[in-house]
Parts: sequence; structure tokens; C-alpha cells
Amino acid sequence: MSGDAVVTEIDHDEFNPRGTLALILVYFAILVVMWVFMYFVEFLGNDLTVIG
Amino acid sequence: MHIHNYEKIWLVLAMIMIVGFLTTVTYGATAVGIEMISDEEDTIDPGALDEDPRFAEPRVEQVGENEYEAYVVAQQYIFSPDPIEVPANSTVTFYVTSPDVIHGFQVAGTNANTMVIPGEVAKLTVETEEPGEHGIVCNEYCGSGHHVMEGKLIIHPEDEFEMEDDE
Amino acid sequence: MSSAIESGEPTFLDRFPQEAKVVRSALWSSFIALTLGALFGIIQTLHRTDVLRVFSSGNYYTILTAHGVLMVVSFTIFFLVGIYTWAVVRSLDRPVEDIRYTWTWYGLMVLGTLMALVAILGGFIDSIDISADVLFTFYAPLQAHPLFYGGLAIFLIGTWLAGADWFRSWYAWKQENPGERIPLQTFMVLITMLMWYIASIGITIAVVIFLLPWSLGIIDQVNPLLTRTLFWFWGHPVVYFWLMPAYLLWYTVLPKVSGGRLFSDPLARVVFVLFLLLSTPVGIHHQYLDPGIADGFKFIALTNTMFLLLPSLLTAFTVVASMEHGARQRGGTGLLGWLRALPWANPAFTGMALAGLMFAAGGFSGMINAGLNINYLVHNTLWVPGHFHLTVGTAVALTFMAATYWLWPQLTNKPIFSRPIALAQVILWFVGMALMSNAMHVAGLIGIPRRTAEPQYDGFDFIPTFGSIAELDLQLVVGGTLLTLSAILFVSNLVLSISLPKVSGLGQPLPPALSGPDDAPKVLDNLKLWTAIALVLVILAYTLPLASIVDRGGLFGPGGTPYPTMIEFGSTLLEIYTPLTTDWISGWLQ
Repeated sequence: MSGDAVVTEIDHDEFNPRGTLALILVYFAILVVMWVFMYFVEFLGNDLTVIG
Repeated sequence: MHIHNYEKIWLVLAMIMIVGFLTTVTYGATAVGIEMISDEEDTIDPGALDEDPRFAEPRVEQVGENEYEAYVVAQQYIFSPDPIEVPANSTVTFYVTSPDVIHGFQVAGTNANTMVIPGEVAKLTVETEEPGEHGIVCNEYCGSGHHVMEGKLIIHPEDEFEMEDDE
Repeated sequence: MSSAIESGEPTFLDRFPQEAKVVRSALWSSFIALTLGALFGIIQTLHRTDVLRVFSSGNYYTILTAHGVLMVVSFTIFFLVGIYTWAVVRSLDRPVEDIRYTWTWYGLMVLGTLMALVAILGGFIDSIDISADVLFTFYAPLQAHPLFYGGLAIFLIGTWLAGADWFRSWYAWKQENPGERIPLQTFMVLITMLMWYIASIGITIAVVIFLLPWSLGIIDQVNPLLTRTLFWFWGHPVVYFWLMPAYLLWYTVLPKVSGGRLFSDPLARVVFVLFLLLSTPVGIHHQYLDPGIADGFKFIALTNTMFLLLPSLLTAFTVVASMEHGARQRGGTGLLGWLRALPWANPAFTGMALAGLMFAAGGFSGMINAGLNINYLVHNTLWVPGHFHLTVGTAVALTFMAATYWLWPQLTNKPIFSRPIALAQVILWFVGMALMSNAMHVAGLIGIPRRTAEPQYDGFDFIPTFGSIAELDLQLVVGGTLLTLSAILFVSNLVLSISLPKVSGLGQPLPPALSGPDDAPKVLDNLKLWTAIALVLVILAYTLPLASIVDRGGLFGPGGTPYPTMIEFGSTLLEIYTPLTTDWISGWLQ
């Protein structure tokens, strides 16, 4: 089906997943920003502060 | 077992993130003082709420200068008392229990949210701020009429609030 | 790995015709459940949004129970047993030990499902006294007909026997291949089942000791907090029971359809071991807002849960790296330009890749759910179903459907009826779920509850921070409709494939990992060690909370009121068995 378009064989030692690292760093940044937003704005900024 | 350097970087970042999340939650629990619903209330006989000093007559009571306690019964398919009336800028502790099945108690759109389990009393303390009206929803399925189970929390301006007992 | 050699490969059906038949039967069972589940899903969407209310709001909960049970028990677990049978037979390269035994566990699972389904659907017919309007979580004192609990028990026994089948194959293989590493797919299957056996302790006690005798009238009441806690003892690991087959497919099939190879076999093993260790001692994170459980226990659940993120985060890297490897082998270049070189026209690839993308989003909302005090914001709001429609509803379901497009031809020797329809189907699922789940998350944040027939109240309105309720409802309806259409296209495509003539050369061998099993420390394959550690963690996490719940509320109550009140057809049994069982249980506890 799809594994048939291989033009170059790349083995483990010559493969640096740069693109993966870039994508995952973007994901990391999104997670951190969203967490801070959700926790400090949506949650702590919401009505009726729970204290016990 | 060789792990690629990039994967090691990600592993370290993932650990930092996890510790960061735990730190945030701990900050909320300590510096902000948000406590979880816990086990400090004794269990109660759900079949004998009408003999219980708190729940026989569900009500709001003033217990301190600016402190109130609301004894709330959640049952198929009503909350009592309804509405729950408290003043703005006060500390309100809800004690909520059920005589029948499991219910939820959430002041809609706010952080005041707890499970209500027969035999257990949920204790939840909040600080009210602005005057206004909030809906209360049962947010756990409790039977075929679950969707009609609602109540109201009315937060009165401080100078207009009077306890019914005083009238 | 040239295409000429590949097309000459015999298929799974050629090599193991008897096993292929079991796998096909399990998958058909799964897809029938998916079809029914989707039907109940769209009815709910239209009902909640008040677009069309075919049934009464009381019956909504019957529909919701059916949707939940069919989707997350029948659809997912039938698919699991099918794919795991395929994975074990394929990776050990040997038939099952006794095909009659294999059919036995499959038959038990079907029987259990039918029993539970009869009990649930009985809720539509008022004149008969059978119902199970208790939703997927069946929290007591909501009470179902004994057929429901009995069906669940038989279904579970079927899954346990299935696991034993796979262990038996592995054991026989090990005798013939001493000292060899467990093949990756078999390793994943065995680890999953070990987790499942440990998790099942909770639900078995809940159902066999409490709920089934209670529904039969043998005991009068149960402790609702105890049965609820025992449910979540099982209820969180079941989440991983849905996910681990999807992970198996991401680790072993997705690299192949991307045109590459798995980046790291050892890390895949580490990830599965972490799931075994951490899936169970976290169930209390579903009970952050339960009275009667000390906040200290909740904090322990929080910590365990946060570390349970690790295997999923590691998976994200390894799987994307495997895709990148495929893309670069296919000539992809640049920092991100390789994404274009991926086989986006292949529905198996596109479906799994989109499923993975949704899992990244679902992972985030899961982190919020897991975050102890922030749970006050979202607990039991529509946010929560928004979350799990991304995880089990897309990461798992879409992966299963996409993988079917890859595997089905090898089980039938027939191509898929239409690849363009298959491609449209996976994209429709992605778009439909993006809309529906987005609306659910937003609705949850403004306090709209889950699990209700009519989220429109008399005394107040929900106030969105932006947009309007009508817009959210529109997203829900459009999303739900696209999902239903997608499910219909999926099943129709398979049904239409039946009529195609058989062809040869559909075999698809799986390439070895770039970093193979020999790079993995031997200790990773020590199943006894990991099971022992997992058990210790479960004991540490659960002994004190359970003891405290029993100490506070008693083993059998205070119970609340059973609902609905059913005719106590067990009342004659009551007099005979009550002294017997209570004596036995109290004796057993001391």
C-alpha cells in the first residue's frame, strides 16, 4: 500500500529526527501556555473561591 | 539500550513539565488555600436525615460574624433549601448529603462543585464576592428526572441581607 | 523491502485461516457495536441540543447507557481481542494452541454483551420489569437488572480467558525458542493483559460480592462510596485497555504505513511497562470531589497520574520520529517539509496520524482533569466527555478504523471496496470530532453538565464567555452528524468489500525496528518482576483508602435507596442465602 515508495534507506545511526524534535517542542510550548492559562485565568479567576 | 539525544531532551522536558504541574497544584493547595473535599465529616444514616439536627430542616445558618453554613439535601429531583440565600463577601460552608442516590452539586459555572453520596456529607467552603444569582445543577445522573434537578444560589448585597430567623 | 517481494507475501488469512476467522468475527462484533453506538450517539446529540427529541427525556438515559456500554466496552474490547489475537499469532508465527478454546472465549464475550444489552434495551419497554438505566459507571444505589451485572461478569470472564489463550501461545513458543526476546507485539499483548488482570480485581469484587447479590435481593444495601471506588479501581485502567491496542498499532503498524521503521523497540517496551505499573494506582483521580476520601489519598492519586503522563509523552516522540523516518526514506527534506512526503492519500496512514494529533489535544484536557484542585472547575461538566471523545473517541476509535483499512485485506484476501471513501471517512471523523469536542470543552467551562437530557434549566441560563449557546449547539449537531456519517461510511465500506472477488498478494509484512529488541535490557521482559511491582503499587495506593471507606461506612452501607425499585424476584432466595453470604463474607474478611 504505502511502504513501496522508499527512495533511500536510512538506518538508526544516521537518522536525526530533527523535525520530530521541532514539533514536540512546539507541543511542549502549547501545553505550558495552555496549562498556565487554564489554571491561573480560568480556574483561579473563576467565581466562588473554594477554601475548604 | 541507546536512547537518541533528542529523545533524552524530550524526556527531561517531560519530567520538568510533570513537576511543574505538580508544583502548580501544590501552590493552589497551599498559597491560595484551595482544599479538596475530604473525609472530615462523619458518615450519616441516609434513611434518617429527618432526625438529623442539620438536615431535618435544610437551611442557612449564621455561625459567625461573616460566616454562614448551608445544610443542603440533594434528593431526586430537588435541592433543599431552594433558593439558598447568603450575603456577598462572606464565607459560606455547604454541607450536602443525599437520602437516596448519588447526586452532584455545582453552582453553575463556578468552582463550587462536589459529589453528593448517600451516607457521606460533602463539606465545601467558599468565599462569596459580588451579589448576584447563580443556578445550581445536579451534575451526576440520578434517575429519569435528573435533568429537572436544579436550584438557585442568591447572593444578596450585604446591607440587604437578613436571616429569616431575625424577621 | 521492495514492492515486488512484498506483493508476493502470503496474507494472514493464507497462513492462519482459522485464526483469521476469529479475528474477523471479533472485528465484526466490534463494528456492529460501533454502528449501534453511533445511532444512539446521534439521537443524544439531537436530544440534548433540543433539535429533535424522538424519545422522552426519561429514555435519554437508556440511550446514553447503551451508547456508553456499546462504545467503550463492546466496540473497543471486541476490537482489542481481535487485534491482539492477530498480533500474537503473527508475531509468534504460530497458530493458537486450541481453536475451540479461542471460540469459547469469543462466545462468552458475545453472550455477556447480549445479556447486558437485553437488560439495557429493556429500559425502553415500560411493561417489562427489566432495565439498566445506570450508565456505563453503574454507580449504586442506581440499580440495574441482574442480567446487566451478570452479562458484564461473563464478558469479563471471556476477556480473561482470551488473555490466557495468548499467554498459552507465548508459553508454548518460549519452550521452542529458549532465550529469545519476546516479540514486540506479543510483549505488548502480555503486558496489557497483566494490567487487565490486576485492574479486574476491583470490578470483580464490586459486581460479584456487592452489586449482583444486591440486584438479586440477596443483600439489601451496599456502600455506594465503596462500590464506586472499586469501579474506578478498574475504571481508570480500562482507559488504558482501550489505548494500548491503539499504541500497539502506532508502534508496529503506523511506521510501516509511513514507509519507515519503528524508531526504538526498547522504548516501546519501557512505555508498556510503565502502563502496567501506573494505570491502576490512579483511579481515585476520578473521585477528587468525593466526600469520604481523605485529601491525602487524592494527592497520591494526583502524583501517580502525573507520572502516568510520561509513557504517553514518550510515545508521542517515538511515533512521530518513526513517521519522520518514513517520510525521509520517501525523499522528504527540510525541518518540517518532510510532512508533505507522508502518504496522506492512504486512509490507514491519515486516520492514524489524525488520531495521534487528536490524542495530543486530548492529552491536554486530560492533564486538566488530573490536576486535583482544578478539577473543581470541570468535574462532571461537558468538558469531561469532550476530553474522552478525543481520547477513546478519536485517538482509539479512529486508529482502530484506520488500522482496519490496512489489516482487513489481509484477513479476507479482498481489497477495501473504496479507498477514496475510506479517506473521506477518516477525515470526516476528525473534522466532526474537532467540532463536537471543541463545543463540549467550551460548554463545560461555563458549567453545562454532562449526562443530562436537557441542559436547559428553568431558573437560570448559562452565560458563554464568547459566542452563544446556539453556536455551541450548532457545533455539537454538525459535529455529531459528521461523526454519524463517518461511522456509516466506515461500516458500509467493509460490507461492500464482501462482494469483491478474492485476490492474492495483499500480504503486508512488518519491518523490524531501527533499534531492535537486542538493544533492550533483558529485565524489561521479566513479566513476573513488573507484575509484582505493579501489585505492590496497587496495594500501596488502595489499601488505606478502601480500609477507611469500609471503616467509615461499613461494608454494606449506609446504602441510600435503590433506584429504580424493582420487583424483588430474588426475595425467596433472600431468606435462604442472606445468613449464608453475610457469614461467609464477614468470615472471609477476618
